[in-house]
Amino acid sequence: MDQKTAGLNITIFFCQQLDIDQDKNRRTLEKELGSQIRFFPLPCSGRIDPLHLLRALESGADMVYLIACPEGACRYREGNLRARKRVGYAQKLIEEIGLEGARIELITGTAATPATIDTIARELLMRDATVGISPVRSKG
Amino acid sequence: MPPKYHIETSQVPNRFQKITRSGIIAWEEGCLKCTRCVKKDCVYQVYEKRNLDDRQMLDSLDSACMDCFRCVQNCPNRLIHKGLNPSYKALGDHYWTPEIISGLWFQAESGRIPVSGAGYGGPFSGPGFDAMWTDMSEIVRPTRDGIHGREYISTTVDIGRKVMAIGLGPGGEIISQAPPLVEIPLPVIFDMLPWSPPGDNIQLSFLYGARALGTFAVVRQSGINPAVREFLPHVIIYVDGNPGDLKEELFSSARIIEIPDGGDPIALQERFKSINPALVVMIRLRLGPKTPERAFALIAQGAEVLHLVADEYGLEEGSDPLFIKERMKEVHLHLVDKGVRDQATLIGGGGIAMAEHMAKLIICGADALSIDIPLLVAMECRVCRRCKEGIACPVELDGVDPLWGSLRIANLMAAWHSQLLEILGAMGIREARRLRGEMGRAMFFEDLEREIFATMGKRG
Ligand code: SF4
Ligand code: SF4
Repeated sequence: MDQKTAGLNITIFFCQQLDIDQDKNRRTLEKELGSQIRFFPLPCSGRIDPLHLLRALESGADMVYLIACPEGACRYREGNLRARKRVGYAQKLIEEIGLEGARIELITGTAATPATIDTIARELLMRDATVGISPVRSKG
Repeated sequence: MPPKYHIETSQVPNRFQKITRSGIIAWEEGCLKCTRCVKKDCVYQVYEKRNLDDRQMLDSLDSACMDCFRCVQNCPNRLIHKGLNPSYKALGDHYWTPEIISGLWFQAESGRIPVSGAGYGGPFSGPGFDAMWTDMSEIVRPTRDGIHGREYISTTVDIGRKVMAIGLGPGGEIISQAPPLVEIPLPVIFDMLPWSPPGDNIQLSFLYGARALGTFAVVRQSGINPAVREFLPHVIIYVDGNPGDLKEELFSSARIIEIPDGGDPIALQERFKSINPALVVMIRLRLGPKTPERAFALIAQGAEVLHLVADEYGLEEGSDPLFIKERMKEVHLHLVDKGVRDQATLIGGGGIAMAEHMAKLIICGADALSIDIPLLVAMECRVCRRCKEGIACPVELDGVDPLWGSLRIANLMAAWHSQLLEILGAMGIREARRLRGEMGRAMFFEDLEREIFATMGKRG
């Protein structure tokens, strides 16, 4: 796959309500990229805790995404709004310790184009990399 | 009376957080900062013991919560919710359901029988084994002394051929030879897996487990390596390659050998027995519409043990496959009809997912059965089949510690053994050998439906 973020370890947290067949749909990518991509389904994006995001960076991710449902489409009503706040908070925390805030990013789906988890992930992988290998990882 | 067969159990903790049916969703935003937060009142101290496993990013909240709903109900700002966990629904498939998988996990972790609480909330009938009920009328017998107490119920079965009559010579001496017979204390052997991550550790877990339980694990000829040799008295060598490649010493240590049907299995059986007459030979057949005839032909030629296998969903081969219990009944009854049923041992396998399936397949005519996937589930497998597709196992089964694995397997088998005792006790049957083919002590949905509705709708 022509991946622009080649060499980067990507961790994707996502709301499972986005794609009911997520477990099947993500397999081709898991096979192609092996340990370079890790998917963590959440029952709701609002279930994310800043600790999840920090732990992901700590355990070797260069980029951490949280994919939430479109605004107004959260099954738990405000999970995605709360997720936004938590991502903001985690970004602030990592900036304080000298990491780029952009290593954590919230992606919100659009209601108009419901997508499967693999197509969303592929789009993310095709984007120009804004960050390089994480200093957490390079220090080993 | 011989000592009771007893399987030692212990609490064997999970390596990974288990996937639970429901999860807690607790919003932090909007917290009123009550002087005493409801989270402090959880009797299980779920919130205090909270941690995050970074291999799976699963919060311990979900697996530790006992669903009492106290925190959910008492938070004044309604910030705590419990929701169904979609990952739970994604476990396994239509046959290996999330309920079956999580039930197996529980048994493997604790060694205990899963108890559903008061009443049974499930469906009354369903496909496959669920279309069969056993007669539990003896459950109320007042003299019952407890199947786990003084009463003795045997779950031992024999693998091998039996002589039907003793042949006597002219001087009255016994001339018929008793063929070798292997006894197993539990009517279960461990079969090869339809899929699994690579490496030897899973197999070693099976072998340690088989040895501890006094049963057998089937190992491919190509998989016999120095580590396996130590377990040969508990290995069934499956000859999937050239029989000539098998070293003679294997024949002296092994007690059972399995060969595929096709070609001339009886000639091969004779060849193996000429090397070691004490060897029991088992013939493996893929279950299908022709199995009843084939089984009879093989037994007539001297086959000792037939291992009849369905696929992982319990289905036989062919375009319109029957479920294993249906075909097993047919094979058993055909052999009874021909008067040869007692001569040979029938082992059934494929789709055995719960302890009750074990009893039900025996009622349908199997002497014993082979299991595979439940043993992997005992070691936390999620039946996701990623290993089959060459993707990393989410619970890292390739690196499982064989001793840990064998303890989990022993726990699962202990729970199944207890359930088999419960069923036998409730049916008033004292040994598993007597349960075989006891179809009169069971009801089959299809039969009932036919009996009740056949006459209706007939006009004129
Ligand atoms: S529902 Fe009950 S057991 Fe679960 S976390 Fe709340 S108080 Fe604890
Ligand atoms: S959890 Fe999935 S990958 Fe691991 S052994 Fe089970 S089916 Fe295979």
